[in-house]
Amino acid sequence: MAVATDDVSTGTVYDTDDIMDMAGGSKSGFFDFLGGLTDFLGNNTSVLPGVLGGLLTGEAYGRLSDVGKEARMGADELAQRQLEMSQFKPFTVTTATGSGFGSMMGADGGLQTTMTLSPEEQALQQQLFGGAGAFFGQATQPTAEREQEIFQRMRTAMSPEEQRQRQEQEQRMAAQGRLGVRTAQFGGTPEQLALAKAQEEARNSAMLGAMQQARQEQMQQAALGQQFLGAGYMPQQQLVAGLQPGLTQQQLEQQSRQFGSGMFGEATMSGLEAMLSSEMARANLLGGVGANLLSGAVTPKPAFGMSDLLGLLGKG
Amino acid sequence: MAQELKSINLVAPAFKGINTEDSPLAQDPSFAEIADNAVIDKRGRIAARKGHSVITTDKTELGSGTIRAIKEFDRSVGSNVILSVGNNKIFTGTTTLTDATPGGYTITADNWKIVNFNDKAYLFQASQAPLVYDGSSVVRLDSVAGAAGVVQGNEVLSAFGRLWVTGVSSNPSIVYWSDLLIGHDYSGGTSGSIDISKVWPDGYDEIVALAAHNGLLIIFGKHSIVTYSGAEAPATMALADTVAGVGCVNRDTVQYTGTDVLFLAHTGLKSFGRTVQEKSLPISSLSGNITKDIISALQSENTFFRSVYSPEESFYLLTFVGQNITYCFDVRGTLENGSYRVTRWLSTGFSSYARKENGDLLIGTINGISQYAGYEDNGNTYRFKYYSPSLTFGDASRIKILKKLKPTLVGANNAAVFIKWAYDFKGTYATSEFTVGDQITGYYGESEYTTVEFTGGALTNQRSLNATGYGTSVVVGLEADIKGSQLSLQEINVMALIGKLL
Repeated sequence: MAVATDDVSTGTVYDTDDIMDMAGGSKSGFFDFLGGLTDFLGNNTSVLPGVLGGLLTGEAYGRLSDVGKEARMGADELAQRQLEMSQFKPFTVTTATGSGFGSMMGADGGLQTTMTLSPEEQALQQQLFGGAGAFFGQATQPTAEREQEIFQRMRTAMSPEEQRQRQEQEQRMAAQGRLGVRTAQFGGTPEQLALAKAQEEARNSAMLGAMQQARQEQMQQAALGQQFLGAGYMPQQQLVAGLQPGLTQQQLEQQSRQFGSGMFGEATMSGLEAMLSSEMARANLLGGVGANLLSGAVTPKPAFGMSDLLGLLGKG
Repeated sequence: MAQELKSINLVAPAFKGINTEDSPLAQDPSFAEIADNAVIDKRGRIAARKGHSVITTDKTELGSGTIRAIKEFDRSVGSNVILSVGNNKIFTGTTTLTDATPGGYTITADNWKIVNFNDKAYLFQASQAPLVYDGSSVVRLDSVAGAAGVVQGNEVLSAFGRLWVTGVSSNPSIVYWSDLLIGHDYSGGTSGSIDISKVWPDGYDEIVALAAHNGLLIIFGKHSIVTYSGAEAPATMALADTVAGVGCVNRDTVQYTGTDVLFLAHTGLKSFGRTVQEKSLPISSLSGNITKDIISALQSENTFFRSVYSPEESFYLLTFVGQNITYCFDVRGTLENGSYRVTRWLSTGFSSYARKENGDLLIGTINGISQYAGYEDNGNTYRFKYYSPSLTFGDASRIKILKKLKPTLVGANNAAVFIKWAYDFKGTYATSEFTVGDQITGYYGESEYTTVEFTGGALTNQRSLNATGYGTSVVVGLEADIKGSQLSLQEINVMALIGKLL
């Protein structure tokens, strides 16, 4: 069975065959070599040490391969464990006013956060947003109608006094027998013109005042809208502000978890490295014996019998 | 048994003028029951009025009409021009009446009022486009360059630097005034108007006439009068006084006497007396001795009223043209009751008057323009009449038997004089006639050693006439045809025998 591993740097996954290929040839070629060696040994007793050396070397080779596989599997398991250990943990923050902040992993693996205001805060926010909308709505309306309304109210306030002034003048004019005076120069009498001018000026002033007032009100409404809008976000801002201690705590927890994961990984890797070292040493030893045997087999010397081989193996 | 004759001397008879208001029996002999074609002369005597001497020699344009208005156009440069109207035409000149009516302009009445203003003469009458005469021609006022808002009024007054127009038929309570010194602009500059319909003290009236006096603008209604002060600036003029119950009958009865404004009201001739201290305008009746006669005359008048004030003659003439009656008010002083001395001129044919700058009094008649001068009416005689009130000689219960009448006349050269008397209010008069002799005055150095001796001035003539009849009250009269010579009645001495009690 091919065990998959990955190249972290490139993300490429390798199996055993790929490793054998990287060792110098195909798997069938290697065993063909061993078969040939056996045949040689059967035919030539003097080459038995060489065969043994070869077998040992092959064993060492196999062990090294197994060690690599085990190390790789251990690393994979470690990575998986560390990934799980360092996984983000959802958390929630609830403020004193009842609003809440939540953080969780979404179905797609993405991080999702939610902020929820308390019903009272939502009501207040809606009220403020509604007020802001109303004020902005009023601020964006043409001022002509409001000017007229203000002007009418000012005129309503001014009219009684103007009426009194007109009546007083009318009485004076009547007493002077001048009610019927019409002049090309003044229209009526100079006093009538003066009063009419004064009243008209007051009327004009009222009109200009109404325009100014309407504009001020428009600006005031815009400012109020702005204030309401800002105040409407105040619960949210306070929620965010209240979230800060929770976030700090979560960060500490996250750091602790990451640190634990790191420690676990390092420890696990140390074990794997120790195992690798041991297995490599055994493989090296075995490989060295095999190499010596092979070396002796291929070196010309007196006939080498089985006893020799057993002597070499400490069995004779 | 012989009885003493009682002498009643009527000194300066009728020097108080006519009195038809008081009871004849209780009257002062200084009044007259009748004083026709008479005036009060400079000595306070009743005298024959002057006649009129016709100046016009060519009255072709006048035709059969009569002169209805005369005005001397005073201009700053050149000689004055006499404007007159009649026969639905406008005339210039006196000896020859030249038609100056604008071409294409149709005149339907001759009730013009003509005033001088700023070197022009303006003519206004109701329902007729106003005219203006600049010394060369008469033109429509609304055709003058710059004319605006010209109104067709019946009354016009030149005062306070403006023309004041009223009597517009559609707006009888509005007075319009022109721009300053511009008689043809009624809608620009400082022109204007005033509706006094809310000012009338009686609630409603219609403007009849205008006058300016003592710094006041006087607006005459038919039954009331309102006055405004400060008319120099019409926009700010203010009501000064109102008079209810007295108005003006006709615009042509208003005359200025310098200290008074005379006008004919429905109850007689009135005047504003100027009272500086009280700053008020008391109204006195100047025709209190003939109130009923005046009222009767004005009620019967359906043509024109004409009047004139002559300071040279010291009289105010008021003519009821339709009835051919003229009342002559002596304005030199008033009687105890505040009335002017008044005499009556009948059948004169006077239809208009104008006093010239030089004091001449022009009279409009059917013959054209005359001058008040001489003692003939266009060469004809006219009859002077004087009748005393009923005389009782202090005792109405006794019979009086007239014995002699001794009139003393001044002047009356060659005049036929008729002395009349009647008893007990009967209209049948006994008459005694005499002719005054030659009364031509011989002045020193002129007639000496010729036909007459020089005399002391106007000659007097005394006669003694026998009278007949008897009665409890006696009316004495004197009539004379005036023909070329003045006549003044100095006195009438009545010699009567007082009889028994009835």
